[in-house]
Amino acid sequence: MPTRQSFDKALAELQQDILRMASLVEQNIYNAVQSLVNQNAELAAQVIMGDEDIDRLYWEIENKCVRLIATQQPIARDLRVAITGIKILLSLERMADHAVDIARTTMCLCDRPVIGAMEYIPRMARVVQQMVKDGLDAYVHGDVEKARIMCGMDDQVDYLFAHIFRDLLQAMREDPGVITQAAYLLYVSRYIERIADHATNIGEAVIYLETGEWRELN
Amino acid sequence: MGRLVAERLTAAEEAIRIKMEVQGLSVHYGNTPALSNVNLAVKANHVTALIGPSGCGKTTFLRTLNRMNDLIEGVRVTGRVLLDGEDIYRPGTDVVALRKRVGMVFQRPNPFPMSIYDNVAFGPRIHGLRDRRRLNEIVEKALRDAALWDEVKDRLRSSALGLSGGQQQRLCIARLLAVEPEVVLMDEPTSALDPISMLKIEELIQDLKATYTIVIVTHNMQQAARVSDSTAFFLSGELVEYGPTDVIFTRPRDRRTEDYITGRFG
Amino acid sequence: MNKYLADRLATACFWAAAAVITGILLFFLTHIFWRGAPVLSLAFVLGTPREMTAGGGVGPQLFNTFYILVLSLLFSLPIGVGAGIYLAEYARPGPLTNLIRLSTECLASVPSIVLGLFGAVVFVWYLGLGFCILAGAAALALLNLPVLVRVTEEALRAIPVSYREASLALGATKWQTIRRVVLPSALLGMVTGVSLVAGRALGESAILIYTAGLSVSRYFPDFDPFVAGETLAVHLWYVNAQSLVPDATRIADGSAALLVLVVLVFNLCIGIPSRILQRRLLGGGGK
Repeated sequence: MPTRQSFDKALAELQQDILRMASLVEQNIYNAVQSLVNQNAELAAQVIMGDEDIDRLYWEIENKCVRLIATQQPIARDLRVAITGIKILLSLERMADHAVDIARTTMCLCDRPVIGAMEYIPRMARVVQQMVKDGLDAYVHGDVEKARIMCGMDDQVDYLFAHIFRDLLQAMREDPGVITQAAYLLYVSRYIERIADHATNIGEAVIYLETGEWRELN
Repeated sequence: MGRLVAERLTAAEEAIRIKMEVQGLSVHYGNTPALSNVNLAVKANHVTALIGPSGCGKTTFLRTLNRMNDLIEGVRVTGRVLLDGEDIYRPGTDVVALRKRVGMVFQRPNPFPMSIYDNVAFGPRIHGLRDRRRLNEIVEKALRDAALWDEVKDRLRSSALGLSGGQQQRLCIARLLAVEPEVVLMDEPTSALDPISMLKIEELIQDLKATYTIVIVTHNMQQAARVSDSTAFFLSGELVEYGPTDVIFTRPRDRRTEDYITGRFG
Repeated sequence: MNKYLADRLATACFWAAAAVITGILLFFLTHIFWRGAPVLSLAFVLGTPREMTAGGGVGPQLFNTFYILVLSLLFSLPIGVGAGIYLAEYARPGPLTNLIRLSTECLASVPSIVLGLFGAVVFVWYLGLGFCILAGAAALALLNLPVLVRVTEEALRAIPVSYREASLALGATKWQTIRRVVLPSALLGMVTGVSLVAGRALGESAILIYTAGLSVSRYFPDFDPFVAGETLAVHLWYVNAQSLVPDATRIADGSAALLVLVVLVFNLCIGIPSRILQRRLLGGGGK
């Protein structure tokens, strides 16, 4: 007779819950970036509102995780599932917070003209969104290789971030009238860059889950 | 003599010293194989845990380390078991002297139906000690080392069978410590005890490993994880995996080990 | 049938069985003491018997009873206990062990009258001891022997293997283990067994009629094992069957009561100390 069926079910459920939260977070990141690009205050407000659901889900799932650890005393792979579950949850929650930060910035920027230096920000956002998606794919399929490649994409993000930083400084120097917008955009690019960092955390967690080894990948 | 040599080694050398080494050990009961070709090195001043499902050979293995298996009819042992480099299965080995060096604590507490004092003094007495003062010292020290002294010091003369299960097991440990063994074998020492008594024994094991080399068989995976430095996983008479406990319990190499320790066995 | 009813019925049946046994025992005891107690006096218990006139006592018989018992135990204990230890601790399953066990069982099932006649042939005639206490004790030892073997073996086997293992694992030799752990633990069982044996020997008559004889020494007490020594049980049979004394019935009644009393006292004497010993060994904590 197979043992620990209910425990296995609980672990599978945990992963499902995490993915459910992940899809909400992905959506919020996408919406936040869209609201910025389109100067859409309504969408930004929606992002901010949506974060409440994500927070609630976060606490709920984290609680499940803790309960699982307390009652089932997982070891070996089971322990890694529970630990990486908590890690990924935390990363997702931080990402969602950054999405909210972006949305808030959007609301401040809505009534100001768009500046040219901004064009790289959507590009960086696309890369970061791809990273988040790849990270979660790697998690679902236990794909260590994909997780590694995803973490490698962080270099691109860093490169773009440096580029944007330079452009924004340039813009401020040339026209002190855009300093406010440019400063806000500096924040935004920083937020997006942080999301990429959290995505690599997910990648590291996936590698730990599958191999049992922690490796710093960025 | 091995003891004297050991004491001269520095702490660092001591940490990696091999106390017992099992080479190509196979055990048969009649024609039934119980262990096949086991190779394992027990480190000095380490706690080595043996885990595995019932009938996997871990208790058999434990009992080959002090030749308690000799008591069983029709048992056949091949391979070598080295204690400080000397094969204990070499013809002419003094089994009685061996068991003084490699003592054993059993699954069920088995104090003799005598007073607490006589239980602890039993070992020194059979080894010829008569001096009352010396005996008193040994009994007190053994009971202190077994963390039982404070609980029994006022009733050393009353029957050991009046103690609680956990106290009885600690008394059995004290009885063993009184003969000053080098290796302590424990065969599921807490399986008959309540959780608090179990934790006391586990705490005791941690204290004892400074002085003794400990090999413990346990069915309780959490216990193996808590008390041991190295863990060996046995399955169907084979040693499947042997390594540092933290590695075995976080990322075992063998699929069968993983299945067993995470409870997905059978 | 209703299972509760069945349960109650079963309980009632076992109660009834126990009550019948107790009833029979009580009947015997009251009957024997009712008739025997008035006879019991110091003069009777310690007095010397008379062949022709009334008023004789049973002092020498009482003495001989214990003397023969002690001598027979002296012969049978070392051999019986030794064989029991051998069977329990040393014997490996095999033809020899089976033979020993078969022999003891055969010996146990020999009727005592046969042992008596055997004793008469071997000890009294062949060895030329004549009817005497020594011959009686030797014949009685034959009766005790198989029971002692079995009692010892069973008492030793009842000791948990874990005691032996614990002792051996401390580096004790096999003999140290038997001597210091197994035998002391088994002592209680063995004492119980010995008291059973002794109780049976106290009441034995058939064996002794043909070996220890029907007369007693003129001296009292007489420790000479080569004189004839009638025991209480034999005397009981003798006065009833062949005696010429006028108060034969009275003496028989008194002897019977005395015999029962002796067995009771003997069992208490062994039982109470061993129970105290048991409480010391197994008893609860305390100081």
